[in-house]
Amino acid sequence: MQTQTAINTFIEETGSWVASQLEACTRCGMCAEACHFYQATGDPEFAPVWKIELLKRAYEQRFTLTGKLKLALGVDKPIHDEDVLHWSKIIYEACTLCNKCSMVCPMGISLGPLIHDVRTGISKAGAVPADLMAAVNKQMEEGSPLGVTDDVYNDRMEWVADEWEVELPMDQRGADTLVVFSSIEIMKFPENIAAIAKILHKAGEKWTLSRKGREVVNFGFYEGSPERTKIIMGRVFDAAKELGVKKIVVTECGHAYDALRWTAANMMDVPAGIEVTHIVALLGEYVKTGRIKLKQGAYNDGAITFHDACKIQRRGGHIQEPRDILHILAPDSFKEMTPNREESICCGGGGGVIAIKEADPIRYAAFELKIDQIKKAGAKTVAMSCSNCRLQFVDCVQHFNLDVKVAGLSQMVADALEE
Amino acid sequence: MNWESILSFARGPFFQAALLIFVAGMLYRLARILTLGWKPDRVAARGSRFGGAVKSFLKGILIWPFIPWVKNTYSRNPIIYWAGGLFHLGLFVTIFLGAAHELVWKSLLGFGWPTLPTPIVDWLAAGAIAAMIALFVNRLVNPVLKLISGPAEWANLLLVFLPMTTGYMLTHHLWLAYEEMFSLHMLSVDVLLIWIPLSRISHFMFYFFSKAIHGADFGKRGVTP
Repeated sequence: MQTQTAINTFIEETGSWVASQLEACTRCGMCAEACHFYQATGDPEFAPVWKIELLKRAYEQRFTLTGKLKLALGVDKPIHDEDVLHWSKIIYEACTLCNKCSMVCPMGISLGPLIHDVRTGISKAGAVPADLMAAVNKQMEEGSPLGVTDDVYNDRMEWVADEWEVELPMDQRGADTLVVFSSIEIMKFPENIAAIAKILHKAGEKWTLSRKGREVVNFGFYEGSPERTKIIMGRVFDAAKELGVKKIVVTECGHAYDALRWTAANMMDVPAGIEVTHIVALLGEYVKTGRIKLKQGAYNDGAITFHDACKIQRRGGHIQEPRDILHILAPDSFKEMTPNREESICCGGGGGVIAIKEADPIRYAAFELKIDQIKKAGAKTVAMSCSNCRLQFVDCVQHFNLDVKVAGLSQMVADALEE
Repeated sequence: MNWESILSFARGPFFQAALLIFVAGMLYRLARILTLGWKPDRVAARGSRFGGAVKSFLKGILIWPFIPWVKNTYSRNPIIYWAGGLFHLGLFVTIFLGAAHELVWKSLLGFGWPTLPTPIVDWLAAGAIAAMIALFVNRLVNPVLKLISGPAEWANLLLVFLPMTTGYMLTHHLWLAYEEMFSLHMLSVDVLLIWIPLSRISHFMFYFFSKAIHGADFGKRGVTP
């Protein structure tokens, strides 16, 4: 445990961007009401404002007069080893970095990104929960947290191509678009791969997969380690550069999109002229421009709702595209949950939480908010565009024995393609 | 020392010193934040950062405070929305649109502006005081607020409560003689002015940072903040 490293990291991270927001906090506690983990458990330690306490303490004690005074008077304590361990549990197990709290904060403080900064400090101190760290290490060594090695990838893709009779172009130089799947899709939802391949062929996209950039998931980003985040993103960018593509498409994976699309440019040199986009954006564009045609009302029996993912909708901006698609697929049976769109309630399994066994009880507790929303909407099917949400939904539907169908949006689109 | 000399001290040299500390302290804090360094945002935007920031302020100042119940988190803690909103409304109206305070502004700035009729200011001031009591009770009982409140948070409440209640009692000639209450009012204002740069009451300045950052961050992603 290197607590001083954590403190130094907090101080390094605290430029004007962080400090001005820490100073804006009035300690009103309203953010707590936005947090699904607080709502589900009532544990005050899950309040987002409390999750950034270490960052705030490090900043005040280093930079402010009042912080120094509070330290001298014993009102505030310096950061000890046990604090780092304690907060490690709170910010990795009880936070999905969904950033709903920043929508509720009357000061608009970007709590999600600030909690990510706390993760960075704790990761540098070497206090990441063991389950999550094991997945990070696995991805660093094997290229994937779910054991998708070169051989597994080749076997799996060959099997998908056979099973669903789709062509999966591999390492094709001169393609316009590099498509990178997540290992959740490769191992748990392989039908997604077939579905997306079918759509891309139908749209006449010149696309390819890459053996080198075969994993879009980024456990270094969950962990909050800038070094590992960059190495993992670098694998995808390098593959894109080598193949000479113009576009990288992140498939149904949320945090990978946040990393590659909204974070990479501020962390590392990203290759110029390569656009990063999400499969949902691409689907929306195909439908709008008529590159694919969908069967009107293909899913019109049984109410269907859409779950907005934190990283694809709230923080990715692709809120309208799935709705445009669902209004074609299910014009009469599409029902919104409340709250929805950018205000949606998180699935409870993102941010690496689902990878940590010890977080299971609160992860299930948080999902009860989702169950309540689904019931109120009267939905029999929940569509979504994030495989991590989908993993959480599938697991929780089983855990709570719910009569709800979980569907990936790409797959629904593929199944409703007009010939 | 009689009340007359206390009053002339509290509205004279002490007030000027407190005002100086307030202004200098806030400028110092502003400079310190600005000089920590901004990293450029090199991410290609999908929407307008500026537009997002503008929307963020419009929603935060003109929309949410007046229709809090449309927020889905409202039902979980309505008191903080009502009390927080009423407190700020009463505070701003009293400080900027109350006739007595307008005279202070005029003497400080050299120009004045129209004020609201006294009964309106009066009721809003009473509302703000009631809201503060509600916020105080809320801080005592809410488990999250209990966890995150230290001496500084209690001091904030007390040091804002004192000038507001003494000011209210002063205008209604309650309890103490006019000069005595006026002295207490001015003393508490002076203490508050000194306390603001040392405390989180300074959020009125950093609000413009965090709200702009929030709006720009959502705007660049093409999401309504």
